[in-house]
Amino acid sequence: MSVAGTHLFWITSRAAGAAALILSSCSLGIGLLIRGRGKPRRLLGSDARVLHEALSLATLAALAIHGLALLGDAYLHPGLLDIAVPFAGAYRPFWTGIGILAGWGLAVLGLTYYLRERIGQARWRILHRTIAVFWAMGVVHTLGAGTDAGQLWLLVAIAAPTVPALFLLARRVADPLADLWQAGLNDPTG
Amino acid sequence: MDDLRQLEARGLARARAHSRRRRVATIQRRTIRGSLALFAILWAVVFAEIASGNDPALDSGKQARQAASPAPSPGTVLATEPEPEPEPEREFEEEAAPEAEAPVVTSSS
Repeated sequence: MSVAGTHLFWITSRAAGAAALILSSCSLGIGLLIRGRGKPRRLLGSDARVLHEALSLATLAALAIHGLALLGDAYLHPGLLDIAVPFAGAYRPFWTGIGILAGWGLAVLGLTYYLRERIGQARWRILHRTIAVFWAMGVVHTLGAGTDAGQLWLLVAIAAPTVPALFLLARRVADPLADLWQAGLNDPTG
Repeated sequence: MDDLRQLEARGLARARAHSRRRRVATIQRRTIRGSLALFAILWAVVFAEIASGNDPALDSGKQARQAASPAPSPGTVLATEPEPEPEPEREFEEEAAPEAEAPVVTSSS
């Protein structure tokens, strides 16, 4: 049997996992730019929201392939519980558990976008912001459990969108803190 | 006159909505194509790794076995036939479920 035939599901799962991380990093970066300040937001325009949504849905599709393809792997042959329940599997339970949590978090919180009228904009916005935590867990899962984590090509491929996204995330967290700091300095009573 | 303006405004709004729908469809189509291309490239890279025998999963399995059974010192005389080298397995061999079967590895991997 050919390599592709023997390892079809294994290769598919690895490729889909890497694609999911790259797509989610791009989506996060664009999402942070949409709500950010200054020039990038103006350059992106209203189409950025459409791109953010499309990338997020592509991420969810890649995540589904990443998990479901493992079900067909003849060597690992995990069950549905192994790929769906965090820390239940036999293979690297800690790192895969983090990945499963990240996958569920991204899927559930990402899809709340379509329920935002029902749950309320303010509440939805809070939920939407916590997606970054699950994205970070996905990065940790890739570096901890990823078969290709030590490979230069994967590190370069994931660093290209992940590093800018991390930078934007750090800026987003730091900006309100800087505003608070500035307000404290300007406040004559403080 | 007002009717004419109203008609013009409606036509303009319709044209804008149409152009927006077209732009949205274009972005969605390009994102799908880009994602599929990305997946295909990553698939090809992983496939090439496995086919060339440089797969990290196979490599570390081999290294782990070599570390577990060190080569005999130069002075050692082998009394028995050396065991044939086992086929490479994925790195999670030790961690996977005990009932897991060994993978089928082709001659090219």
